[in-house]
Amino acid sequence: MPSLRDPATTPVVIACCRTAIGRSHADRGLFRHVRGDELATAVVQGVVERSGVDPATVEDVILGATQQRGELGGNVARCAALMAGLPLATAGATINRLCGSSLEAIARAAHAIAAGAENVQVAGGVEHMQHLPMESAVDIHPRVLARTSRGMLSMGLTAEHLAATHGISRRRQEEFALESHAKAVRAADAGLFDDEIVRVLGHDEAGGVIEAVADQSIRRDTSLEAMAALEPVFLPKLGTVTAATSAPVSDGAAAVLLMSEAEAARQGLEPLARIVATAVTGVPPAVMGTGPIAATRKLLARVARLGITLADIDFVELSEAFAAQAIHCIDELGLDPARVNVRGGAIAIGHPLGASGARLATTLLHSLRDSGGRYGLATMCIGLGQGIAILVERP
Amino acid sequence: MPASVRDPATLAVERHSDGLVVFTFTVPDHRHNVITPRFLADLAAALDDLERSSGRLIPRGLVLRSGREGSFFAGADVSRLDALRDLPAAEIARLCDAGRSLFARLSAAPWPSVAVIDGVCLGGGLELALACDLRVATTASHTSLGFPEVKLGLLPGWGGTVRLPRLIGPGPAIELAAAGESVTAEAAARLGLVDACVPSEQALETARQLIDVETTTGGIAARRRRQVEPVALDPQERAFLEATTAAVILGRTGGHYPAPPAILQTILAGSDVDAAAAGAIESQAFAKLAATPVSAQLVRVFRIGERNRHDSGVAGDVTPAEVQTAAVVGAGIMGAGIAASHLRADVPVTLVDVNAQTLAASVPGILDEAAWDRATKRTDPARALALAGGLRTATQLAAIAGADLVIESVTERPDVKTAVLADIERAVGPDTVIATNTSTNPITRLAEAVTDPTRFCGIHFFNPVRRMTLVEVVRGPATSDATVATAVALAKRLGKCPIVVRDSPGFLVNRVLMPYLHEATELVREGIDPARIDRVARGFGMPMGPIELYDMIGLDTAFYAGLVLSAAYGDRIEASPLIPALVKSGRLGRKTGSGFYRYSGADQKARIIGVDPEGRRVLDRYAVAPRETTDRTIADRLLLPMLLEAVRAVDEGIVRDPADIDLAVIHALGFPPFRGGLLAWADTLGPSEVLRRLEPLADLGPRMIPTERLMALARTGGRFTA
Repeated sequence: MPSLRDPATTPVVIACCRTAIGRSHADRGLFRHVRGDELATAVVQGVVERSGVDPATVEDVILGATQQRGELGGNVARCAALMAGLPLATAGATINRLCGSSLEAIARAAHAIAAGAENVQVAGGVEHMQHLPMESAVDIHPRVLARTSRGMLSMGLTAEHLAATHGISRRRQEEFALESHAKAVRAADAGLFDDEIVRVLGHDEAGGVIEAVADQSIRRDTSLEAMAALEPVFLPKLGTVTAATSAPVSDGAAAVLLMSEAEAARQGLEPLARIVATAVTGVPPAVMGTGPIAATRKLLARVARLGITLADIDFVELSEAFAAQAIHCIDELGLDPARVNVRGGAIAIGHPLGASGARLATTLLHSLRDSGGRYGLATMCIGLGQGIAILVERP
Repeated sequence: MPASVRDPATLAVERHSDGLVVFTFTVPDHRHNVITPRFLADLAAALDDLERSSGRLIPRGLVLRSGREGSFFAGADVSRLDALRDLPAAEIARLCDAGRSLFARLSAAPWPSVAVIDGVCLGGGLELALACDLRVATTASHTSLGFPEVKLGLLPGWGGTVRLPRLIGPGPAIELAAAGESVTAEAAARLGLVDACVPSEQALETARQLIDVETTTGGIAARRRRQVEPVALDPQERAFLEATTAAVILGRTGGHYPAPPAILQTILAGSDVDAAAAGAIESQAFAKLAATPVSAQLVRVFRIGERNRHDSGVAGDVTPAEVQTAAVVGAGIMGAGIAASHLRADVPVTLVDVNAQTLAASVPGILDEAAWDRATKRTDPARALALAGGLRTATQLAAIAGADLVIESVTERPDVKTAVLADIERAVGPDTVIATNTSTNPITRLAEAVTDPTRFCGIHFFNPVRRMTLVEVVRGPATSDATVATAVALAKRLGKCPIVVRDSPGFLVNRVLMPYLHEATELVREGIDPARIDRVARGFGMPMGPIELYDMIGLDTAFYAGLVLSAAYGDRIEASPLIPALVKSGRLGRKTGSGFYRYSGADQKARIIGVDPEGRRVLDRYAVAPRETTDRTIADRLLLPMLLEAVRAVDEGIVRDPADIDLAVIHALGFPPFRGGLLAWADTLGPSEVLRRLEPLADLGPRMIPTERLMALARTGGRFTA
């Protein structure tokens, strides 16, 4: 099959990076004094530098962000390109597929390459959920609710619904969350995130300026006992989903540098991976957590002609908006838990919405590189009922 | 041409030269247009006429509008609901079918119809509007739309549950009908409930334009198709909508109210089928709800509330004095709250406090509260700015000279109150009404402070003033009817529900509350877990249990109130030793983070953690012998002494009407409306059953001993509410 590929229209990833992920906390957040557009600039600049690309060849910057206003307003991708010192000829577009935004950015860059359009591109995303909270300045039309329900606007309720309808116990969710933290702690302690984190300045809890190199939400001190003591957040008394089994709100940014295989060869750059396929799909908003199931199935159908099956996939980065949602996806897709979120998931690392897709891709590409795997899948659930999936292959 | 030969017609018909036909409704003898049998007959006759004559000339469109200022239709005539309730279910369902079929003639006619909604459009009125193809609502502030049936324990029965989900979607339809709150015209337009929202003077022209646009684009036919077909809702969305909405409803109603879940189920079931089948489902559901005791109680509570709204508070024909400006003396929590409620109602108010700092500190809170927007849950800064002009503050009583009514709201110490009241009288003119806001001081005693006690009364606001709708207007022996009527009229302007009570210790509310609270402490002394007592009270439908309530009121406050009442009714309401013991140990309730319970913090939002060992030691010191106690006996013990005290208050003429007690406990204590109030609840038991339940409690002392009249009621089979 590879012989049939045209290197001029085969998208490859040269480099990827992310900031540390901070808690969205007004008094203690790592990035409480850092603007979201500065985080975006750091990853755009960072990924260009570590790729070794000739900056003059970067044609476009595509960033995902779910709250495109204030410091992330006015097309933050273009702003970040300008602040990062990229040529004035480098374009920029900010896109929104809610939680799937930065995976979408990567997909669009890949599609442009495949179509023979823009070639060298930065794709990523940014979110600052403390400065720009997700509930504010959103006015969903009642006629959207006419096809679904008000309850689906609460992602937590959709997770409760999955837990209730599929018998996912609170204990199982807590064990999953505990494991997510444990994996992230192991990865951090082993220095596995060191390569992917770009250094930016942040603030420690006391207010001192520090180099932000560690994810702030990863917990070393949590336990099943501590988790069991928490009140359900979304369905008081009756529910099973707590703060411990939900991804925290976060601030951060991540970016990937893509170009065609031919262009990589021309610039003498070594690809980390190629983008094999992408897929998006809608699902009922009430079960938005099933988005990765539908999207992954659609993607697998697309690559079936290449002979690639689920069993060939070495690592899966799956969104962990909620433990219940992630568990359900693993169960339904029949994923091997040992291959899913091997360095911890969003419950531990954090979920800066618009940046999460590129964060997943970054961690996935590093996992593949470090352990010599071949295929990797990044897939996410998306509010209002969508799923997105991207399949990558190491050279 | 006349629509009907009968007179007076509720409906006038005009034919415009451009082919538009306009039906204008004016239903006499009601404040608003309401749907009466006569109106339904007139509407049917008018449609008959139109159909007959349309052979010659098909109307371009039909406009339905009101001839009454301020209302399209305020709904069906509530006074007819009790007669309806006595009908067999099949007959009730038939009446629903008949109304729905009549309205359906609008959407089956060969011409399009538009409802022009200028004013309230509620219940059956909204169902009539929904039966039209199009709706235009006006931006006038009096225009609102909604389905309040749920508040009477019912659901819309003339097609509302059929048409609404087809128009705006099942989820929004359930929200609107199950909550019963009205929406503005703008919100209705957003929901898709109305097609245009325009100033009143443009409404008819807009209706004409909509008819033309929709007729030429084929919109009418598409709308009618959508109104007939099942609603296409994804099965997973339907399951989620049902589960989440049911949970929300359960959380709000505690499972005590059958109408909201019935509305959920009726709308969902009706969405799955075509409109005809949905109509049959609606009729059945309505008939079922109409027969529920909860609906009967809610209708009665609505009626006694309406009666209160029209009641002057005195027997004779007395015109209340107009209060152009009011004054409040004392800028503490109560005084500030009272001042804010005046300001909110656009009554200019002068606030006086000798302490300039207290005064200055109270102003921002008063403006915040007065300009609080309940819809957005925040203060409207523009409104606060506008209202600021209505608030004057002063440290000298001279500032109240021009006030028409003054409310003294200084500390509860009788010596201070007496002195301040005398000063107030000296500062105001001879016609100014002087009131005291007190919960514990006898009005008769305080009246001695003023030289003219005819113009003096109590106006007892409850804390927090912004939320508590009940006001006790307390008349002393010398208080004049004019004074009472003025106080009542003012309270109503403030949006309160005033009841007039004769002076007696604790007035009415605290007098019936104290036996309930006190009994809870006795149960605790007998070793019953406070959480269990609270759970039983909540299970009965109280918004919170007596022990939680103690902690919220504050045990020091409860202690002083208890002293006054036990001094007055010592044989029945003894002061519990637990309260001073808790106070002495520094456990004052929520405000100190611990009282009967320990709390997660010292603010009103803190969670109950439980009874801690230290608290347990305080309580155990006063332990008495345990009794055999079931949840039923806990409920009886809490409620029956309360009932006995209410019966005594009626016997002593403390209230003017037993129904005032039901209103008072519902508004002030959150007594469950679905039980109709304290006396209405007792009527559901009957006096004999009350006696039977009191019997095994007799050894507890005088507080459980039935009164003469209770025994007489049991003999004659009389009613508490009569």
